[in-house]
Amino acid sequence: MPPAPLRLTRLLTTVALLASAPLSAAEIDFSRDIQPILAENCYHCHGPDAPARKGKLRLDVRDAALAPAGSGYASIIPGKPDESELIARIFSTDPEEVMPSHESNRKLTAAQKDLLKRWVAEGANWGEHWAFVKPVRPEIPKIENPKSKIENPVDAFIRARLAREKVPLAPAPEAPPAALIRRVSLDLTGVPPTPAEVEAFVTSSIENRESAFENLVDRLLASPRFGERWAWEWLDLARYSDTNGFQGDPERTMWPWRDWVVNALNANLPYDQFTIEQLAGDLLPDATQAQKIASGFHRNNMFNGEGGRIAEETRVENVFDRVETTATVWLGLTFNCTRCHDHKFDPLKQTDYFAFYDIFNQMSETGAGGGGGKLPPTLDLTTDAERQAVSAATDKILVVTNEIDAYEQQKYPRPEGKLLSESPEALKFPGNLFATHAKVAPGRRDLNGLLEALPYFRDTVADPAYVTLLERHIAAVRARDAAQAAITKVMIMDQLEKPRDTFVLTRGNYEAKTDVRVEGHVPEIFRSAAPISAPASTSTLTSTGASRLNRLDLARWLVSPANPLAARTEMNRMWQAYFGTGFVKTAEDFGVQAEHPSHPELLDWLATEFVARGWDMKAMHRLIVTSATYRQSSRAAAADHERDPENRLLARGPRHRLPSWMIRDQALAAAGLLVEKLGGPGVKPYQPPGVWEEATFGKKNYLQDQGDALYRRSLYVFWRRIVGPTTFFDVSPRQVCSVRTSRTNTPLHALVTLNDPAFVEAARVMAQRVLAAPLADDAARLDHAFRLTTARPPAPAERAVLTRRLGKLRADFTADPAAAQALAASGEYQRPASLPTPEHAAWTTLCLLVLNLDETLSKE
Amino acid sequence: MNPFRESHALHTRRQFFGRSALGLGTAALGSLLGRDGFAASPPAASRRAVPGLPELPHFAPKAKRVIYLFQNGAPSHVDLFDYKPKLREWHGKQIPDEIAAGKRFSTMTGNQTARPVLGEITNFAQHGKSGAWVSDFLPQIASISDELCYVKSLHTESVNHAPGISYFLTGSEQAGRPSMGAWLSYGLGSETEELPAYVVMTSRDKEASCGQIFYDFYWGSGFLPTKYQGVAFRGAGDPVLYLSNPAGLSRKVRRDMLDDLAHLNEIKREDFGDPEITTRIAQYEMAYKMQASVPELTDFSQESEATLAMYGPEVRRQGSYAYNCLMARRLAERGVRFIQVMHAGWDQHRNLNTQLKIQCQDTDAPSAALIRDLKQRGLLDDTLVIWGGEFGRTPFLQGKIEDTKGWGRDHHPYAFTKWMAGGGVKPGISYGATDEFGFNAVEKRVHVHDFQATVLNQLGINHEKLTYRFQGRQFRLTDVHGHVIKDILA
Repeated sequence: MPPAPLRLTRLLTTVALLASAPLSAAEIDFSRDIQPILAENCYHCHGPDAPARKGKLRLDVRDAALAPAGSGYASIIPGKPDESELIARIFSTDPEEVMPSHESNRKLTAAQKDLLKRWVAEGANWGEHWAFVKPVRPEIPKIENPKSKIENPVDAFIRARLAREKVPLAPAPEAPPAALIRRVSLDLTGVPPTPAEVEAFVTSSIENRESAFENLVDRLLASPRFGERWAWEWLDLARYSDTNGFQGDPERTMWPWRDWVVNALNANLPYDQFTIEQLAGDLLPDATQAQKIASGFHRNNMFNGEGGRIAEETRVENVFDRVETTATVWLGLTFNCTRCHDHKFDPLKQTDYFAFYDIFNQMSETGAGGGGGKLPPTLDLTTDAERQAVSAATDKILVVTNEIDAYEQQKYPRPEGKLLSESPEALKFPGNLFATHAKVAPGRRDLNGLLEALPYFRDTVADPAYVTLLERHIAAVRARDAAQAAITKVMIMDQLEKPRDTFVLTRGNYEAKTDVRVEGHVPEIFRSAAPISAPASTSTLTSTGASRLNRLDLARWLVSPANPLAARTEMNRMWQAYFGTGFVKTAEDFGVQAEHPSHPELLDWLATEFVARGWDMKAMHRLIVTSATYRQSSRAAAADHERDPENRLLARGPRHRLPSWMIRDQALAAAGLLVEKLGGPGVKPYQPPGVWEEATFGKKNYLQDQGDALYRRSLYVFWRRIVGPTTFFDVSPRQVCSVRTSRTNTPLHALVTLNDPAFVEAARVMAQRVLAAPLADDAARLDHAFRLTTARPPAPAERAVLTRRLGKLRADFTADPAAAQALAASGEYQRPASLPTPEHAAWTTLCLLVLNLDETLSKE
Repeated sequence: MNPFRESHALHTRRQFFGRSALGLGTAALGSLLGRDGFAASPPAASRRAVPGLPELPHFAPKAKRVIYLFQNGAPSHVDLFDYKPKLREWHGKQIPDEIAAGKRFSTMTGNQTARPVLGEITNFAQHGKSGAWVSDFLPQIASISDELCYVKSLHTESVNHAPGISYFLTGSEQAGRPSMGAWLSYGLGSETEELPAYVVMTSRDKEASCGQIFYDFYWGSGFLPTKYQGVAFRGAGDPVLYLSNPAGLSRKVRRDMLDDLAHLNEIKREDFGDPEITTRIAQYEMAYKMQASVPELTDFSQESEATLAMYGPEVRRQGSYAYNCLMARRLAERGVRFIQVMHAGWDQHRNLNTQLKIQCQDTDAPSAALIRDLKQRGLLDDTLVIWGGEFGRTPFLQGKIEDTKGWGRDHHPYAFTKWMAGGGVKPGISYGATDEFGFNAVEKRVHVHDFQATVLNQLGINHEKLTYRFQGRQFRLTDVHGHVIKDILA
């Protein structure tokens, strides 16, 4: 075996940082210290999954674990490790005896074995998995002799954890005002501050740092940009897209739902209401149009309308998706395992899954008809203008097809009134053309057939006049399809009059119904003694009354005190967005296999605070960003990075690469190009030619927008599910629910920010902005360019590098006027003709450099 | 400026660009393309340009890389490889119930009550020392039969394309799991730092008769970090998106710009201590290198006429199957781990008689040329090549027996053939068999997961041990199934 690489060492240091060393500490916490070991190593065969259980032994439930096992011995005898079979087996050297068994591919470390032994010796105290227990509001820790007064409870928890380190870690000082305003502006609104905003904030900070910052935060929270920025993560978890995905990838018009999210966030709709309207807005008494639109949350899933597809299979898969998305978002549970069998690790049964499934199984969707993107039930928001556009486009098709008809009569003679297929020439048509072209009258031919016909008549028959007609026909059909696609119909939820029976499906196979019938309910572990109240509104909709929950019941339950996870999961995601990692690293999984939270008390404190404040989202944002923890400088010694590479303990401020969509918004803002218009249908900015065409065999062509649409926020970029926008990287593919996205670095990402026309144009227009500003000299202009993205002027060393480069670039572009001309002309935005091109090109290159600085790309 | 500081910064910058690729960049490269903590990997691992998991390979690999020639749409096994004289005997007669009853088909024939057997539409002959039966639609593939291992007893559960293709590439019918190439780049790292470890190329039939489009989840990284996802080379223009510098920005100016960028980032790193900045510097340097290595990759001017001729007349047309096959060899030579060539056009529901032959003509020579070319360069031994689709096609007819022009076959999950070559797989054999109608795989059945387990095995991986923790569970390519097909291993 090779020597242990440093990677491992580093990992161990980190782990030690996080776990509070139970070996030396006095108290063993079952949920934190013992259950993860049992779950990882034992539950696979001795856990909740009854059919898979071996030796009739289960170790996930206390009574069962303490009872004599199948072999007659008791696995665990509290206080007597030497008589406990579990301890004997894990320490055994006999390959037949030792546990975990050899086949399991699992192995306990010596430390884990000792810990289990000590736990049994100390009485084998049991406890429930922390996440399944209602959060209890913890005491705010008292910090002895704090260097400064601790005002914000967040800081008390963070500092208390830092103080527990054997070699204490001191919190970093507050970041300089300029760094702080950039950080908080990007976090709250997704756009950088303008130089004027930076200056005003720096000035007011000198007078009163605290009030200056609070005023700034309040201004940002009130900005319409706030809702646009925070909608992004919600769209990721809602798997929002402007198309269905799969075959044909037809367009849908769910953007009114997206706008509902932005508006709800801006209006600070409380999270409980935000939840209820999205899961069951349609079932609310006297539901408003907005509430019905909100219920479109669960129509954002993909839809497989592939030819030959069995409708019921699609319908069932859609229900699965709704079940699993709901469980991930509001329960932090990985429900999908239980689609096929009882969960291996968490106390979730297959019947729990299908009881949840029953709740989402009561909708009128059939699974058929995937050819169009707007599948019933829908809310028709069609405007007269949209209708007229379709009818005008349809008329234009008729004009072309009449001409085609006349041409074909003459070119392919056959008896009057007969189809082209009656002409002998038609027998030569290859592929599907006989069926799709010859046997179909021109007015009824579809795009697929026409696209197949085109190469044949162009390359083989070589009939240019006919090809021109076909091209016109294709263009007219595309225009009609686009007009039809733009008709606004929002997919929403509804409820069947007569409930559908739900049966457990064997291995989740849609056609393998068992005879186990289940009714809508929450998982058993969450069914408290208190009955779930059945709101009056639902009684007419469910025949069996309160015992069978419907979507509205479920939505209300999810945000009721009975659910221990709604506030925790949301607070964890919020924390993750600010600090890069959640308290629970696996934001999608709070189950027993998840890593123990880095700050369990703070997570629970925030969760209870969130509920106590009436699920006020903006209040929680404000609480977090005004903490000293958030405001710390992210500058740190190399040793501190080494010690806590992921910054889980937060002895320094957050620093990581911005999401790619925000990098684009920032570049547009720095150039002064960003168009601040809220909402509306998706826009199509620059994209290399042929990307959609190649992915869809020419069936979908990307018609780039012009003017303002090029400079709208990334949130509004049209998202084709099968081939997402190329300008973004490390984004959720928007296929299934995603609550955590990767943050990686590949050369391909660098190519985007260096070469994507969106960025090159931003650099070019940013250069115009810098050159147009009333500034005295190059140094002042360089400062300005630097400030536009980093909110600070360059240090002397940095300025020296840029100044030297500017001189050389001027020489380069003066020597090559054609190059200068080309670069200065990039993009469609206007350019003052008076600007000398070498000067403009030199500054464009310099601005592109600044847009690619690590500091620009990062939140710092 | 502090002169000491400047000289230090310059020195560091020179280190970045002056030393070999495995020099200063290594620390950063590790987290860039391979795994975190590369700097600290043991020397053995650093033989790989970008290492994967330290425990991999689990045992000595037979293959270093994979070329998967994926034939989207599902080639008809009974017309191409699985010769069944019975089909012509029974032509036009209803397929016996004991063979076909109770089976699930796509809705295109699921409700069709008449299921007349359709005899193979062309002729078969035996080839090579191995005596493999191959259709006369595929003369070139037939002629290399002694290099190939035909697996004739494959079966799957999927009756639709996207789930079926997903199943073979990701181990799951549902979109969204990591694809095989992503698993391999994650597990084994990369042999090159100038090209992506996992490259995808797509093409379709010239006649544009088929509708099977390519979804990017066919090469997605699922829950693995996105850096492991396949890079889809484009069929026109720059193969890699945004590869070219903007118009007017020369390579020299770009070089200068990146030097300054590195310098400024280095100043920042000294100030802020964040090792991520080192990664950023390397990331930009690799992008610069890729801008040179990709054009070199696609420049066929050094290829001999004989080589080009072997791949056929389409080889110079970017985006053709022939072009992609030659590219596959060039990528293999340059250390790319997983090369996924996907060709659509095999979905003959109603144009079997008109289209299958054309489809074969487009793909036969390039597929065979790739094997010959790899072999003559000594690359076949450690390259595993796979040819095949997501399922087979029904031995019975879709359509009407009297309408010969409209003959077709529907999707068929119960039996189909793929072939493999090189990479430690036995050449010149056929493995497994179907019943006399080619309907059900009956002998030595091979499931999708068995097939995947075998591919991983050839790369030195125990498919049960290459796992990734997600949603509290250890996931793997083969789910909880899969047995290595030991009998086909050399």
